[in-house]
Amino acid sequence: MAVHESWIGKALPRVEDRALIQGQGQYVSDIRFDGQWVMALVRSPHAHARITRIDTEAAAALEGVRAVITARDMEAMRRGLPESGPVAPPALAYEEVFYVGEPVAAVLADNRYLAEDGADLVQVHYEPLPVLTSAEQAAKDEVILHPSIGSNVFDAFHITSGDGREALKQADHIIRATLQMGRVSPQPMEPRAIAASYNPVDQTLVVYHATQSVHRAQERIAEITGLDKDHVRVIAPEVGGGFGVKNGSYPEEALVTYLAKHFKRPIKWAGDRFEEFLSTSQEREQTHHVELGLNKDGTIVALVDTYYQDNGAYPGGGAMVSRNTARNLPGPYRIPHMHIDGYTVFTNKVMQRPYRGAGRPQGHYIIERMLDRAADELGLDRVDIRMKNLIRPDEFPHRTGTDSVYDSGDYPADFSDLLELIDVPAFRRRQQEERQKGIRLGLGLSNCVEISAGFGFEGVRLTLMEDGRVMLATGATGQGQGHRTALAQIAADALQLPVERIVVMEGDTARIDKGIGTFGSRTIIMAGNAATMASEGLVAKAKEMAATLLEAAVDDVVFSEGQFSVQGVPSVSMDWTALAERVAQTGETPLSHEDVFSSGVATYGFGSHAAIVRVDEKTGETRIERYVIVHDTGKVVNPLLANGQVIGGTVQGLGSALYEEMIFNEDGQPLTTSFLDYRLPGATESPDIEIHHRDYPAPGNPAGYKGVGEAGIIPSQAIILSAVEDAFNDRGLKLDFAPVTPARLFQALTREETK
Amino acid sequence: MPNITLTVNGTQHHLDVEPRWLLADVLREQLNLTGTHLGCEQGVCGACTILLNGRPARSCLTLAVTADGADIVTVEGLAKDGELHPVQEAFWQEHALQCGFCTPGFLMTSVHFLNENPNPTRPEIREALSGNLCRCTGYQHIVNAVERAAETMRKGANHAISQD
Ligand code: FES
Ligand code: FES
Repeated sequence: MAVHESWIGKALPRVEDRALIQGQGQYVSDIRFDGQWVMALVRSPHAHARITRIDTEAAAALEGVRAVITARDMEAMRRGLPESGPVAPPALAYEEVFYVGEPVAAVLADNRYLAEDGADLVQVHYEPLPVLTSAEQAAKDEVILHPSIGSNVFDAFHITSGDGREALKQADHIIRATLQMGRVSPQPMEPRAIAASYNPVDQTLVVYHATQSVHRAQERIAEITGLDKDHVRVIAPEVGGGFGVKNGSYPEEALVTYLAKHFKRPIKWAGDRFEEFLSTSQEREQTHHVELGLNKDGTIVALVDTYYQDNGAYPGGGAMVSRNTARNLPGPYRIPHMHIDGYTVFTNKVMQRPYRGAGRPQGHYIIERMLDRAADELGLDRVDIRMKNLIRPDEFPHRTGTDSVYDSGDYPADFSDLLELIDVPAFRRRQQEERQKGIRLGLGLSNCVEISAGFGFEGVRLTLMEDGRVMLATGATGQGQGHRTALAQIAADALQLPVERIVVMEGDTARIDKGIGTFGSRTIIMAGNAATMASEGLVAKAKEMAATLLEAAVDDVVFSEGQFSVQGVPSVSMDWTALAERVAQTGETPLSHEDVFSSGVATYGFGSHAAIVRVDEKTGETRIERYVIVHDTGKVVNPLLANGQVIGGTVQGLGSALYEEMIFNEDGQPLTTSFLDYRLPGATESPDIEIHHRDYPAPGNPAGYKGVGEAGIIPSQAIILSAVEDAFNDRGLKLDFAPVTPARLFQALTREETK
Repeated sequence: MPNITLTVNGTQHHLDVEPRWLLADVLREQLNLTGTHLGCEQGVCGACTILLNGRPARSCLTLAVTADGADIVTVEGLAKDGELHPVQEAFWQEHALQCGFCTPGFLMTSVHFLNENPNPTRPEIREALSGNLCRCTGYQHIVNAVERAAETMRKGANHAISQD
């Protein structure tokens, strides 16, 4: 029996950190190729306009400027970007611009200062066109942005489960509401960046790319440059946060890679914060018209929802967000009948693409807010209505009616734990006492299911290195999640090696042929299981080799406590290091094994969240006093990292619940384009999050892992609006827009007063 | 082009710099000290924080020429002879970083803060960090790390990082 300690489950500090805390982490902006040119872009100042003329002479004449590119001079720049859905944006706008920030010309120069000087000198003449800034307005098709597909509604879908809309007739009450979410800009701290260098001799292109998926980027870049895929190497070095927006196609990727090959010059673009606000994809913006049918006792009968997603000028990944919203509408509640109509609509804003949560927060926002409304209108308690409708463990597997089969956990037990931790009756007493003193406290509650993975594959390649360490390569590139530590823990267990003997290499297409990438909280589920499978394969190969070396039959070789020995002769044994030495001596290729885990089964994590807020009625400011989570993480690899994900996600979500909103004026001008206008949560606004665990391994994958990256952010908008309403429950405050900024709260309170 | 003198992490440099170049760009591109990060160039995120004559400063808002003669410490100057500064060690142990992009700025801010206030409360730590943004961690583990570093530094030797 193996008696080695298990690395899985240990709260190990990360192997990645030693370099990062000394300033030695290499991000794309830190890469410098000899003789590189730096790119700056001329971006459209109009949300919708025809380009009538572009004057580039003055820019091109500037000393230090090497080239000025427009789609008029370089035809390849007009081609649609790969992986872009039914309407692909060009690398550079040709005849028309569709959002403020769309690239129109590229300036290449010796450094960024000169490139920006050049960009300032490019003169673009525009003829403004009608601007669409509202999805519901755009859906009327009075102005059609992309005539090639005939309508601004580029994705429409309809889901019916049970008796659909008809079932509303069976309900005692129907609660109706229009609920909205504003536009959120995800804002990782490292802006997008890419640098490429072409070697004309062997026709290879090396690309350093702040991306979440090196293999998908490799395919796109091969298409853009016309190179064979195996002549394109994509490396994601340290990536400074991704949250979804560094996944997928952007004009800058096409520009840098195509131009590097064209000019046979290394080219680099490191976007700045302003560009991040203008041109990086955004998310969340939806308007829902909802009807919830319930019986007198609060049992849900039916949910009917029609919603519009303001998707911006191009498809991006917006249809996926919209469809995933529908999938998440039931949350963890039993809803026998549903009818959902979802419309994803073009407007003149930057495109939507999945941002952390990607439909999960939207769906939960709707059901949780509707339960609050229903409780208030039916005179029920907000706690009781949830308990009554939560799916019970004896109902698993539970089909939601929206393409999910919930399989594990104990939702009512988790929620009960949460209520106990909060001590709701004690809170209610305190709430009343404080209110006498003019202090408004509110309690928000929310439950959420985190649906993760459930599609595709991920591979792991293990190689026994000469010194006996094992290299683990995966295409699942991280952006700070700590995969180099967590995957090492998983492989260390299976290979019975100390964790420091595993070296994880992520984000380099040269190290592994295939991969999908890191998004949707999938990596530990997919690459984690692949790591175990690849380890088993490597052990099998190592046994064969050990059998030869120990002159025994393979079946007689046993692997235990990191030693290969012959059955019954434990004194004759060798470990990985000895094996590696022997392989090196014989000159054979190192032992290596690659395996792939593919699965169509999603995992279903769960969380019960409670927030206590304190609202200052005079300033409209909301502060979080306490935030408690009871969480089902499934099988946990590293609790330090798992909690880090949950806390980080929760605080990020508090931003989109309280502060973060991209505001556009009626001309489609974004008005919030710096951290001064678009406020992220800071250290003083953020609470300490209390996390309690009730972990149920996922039945749908061998190791029992569940996703954890999105857990925190799912309920944030729902729970904060719920809590702020509760702080004014004596005044019947109703909030229907997230975020609840001081200005919006003030408006809502004034509305109540004038009613 | 003006010639300036900067002492960076104990080493003196004579540099020709263009008047409009930011100190951050000079550190990153001329001295190859890329640990100082640019997160916003708007003076808000704090990723570019360095110690300028012993005080935290935003190198994205400082023109290099105005720093002529200055004594500068960047994140690369915190560890001594391979030994991590207690603040670095604490960030590591407490999992106070995920992507690490904001981390150099938080480290520099925290080092200075703990020199000024060796025994801070959690709210004081949060206040001290309010000029730095982190999108990944939610701050909680960073606050834990600063608490832990304070404790180590109170117990331990002198961790002054001034140059002379
Ligand atoms: S880069 Fe200097 S404050 Fe953000
Ligand atoms: S660790 Fe990523 S921004 Fe702070």
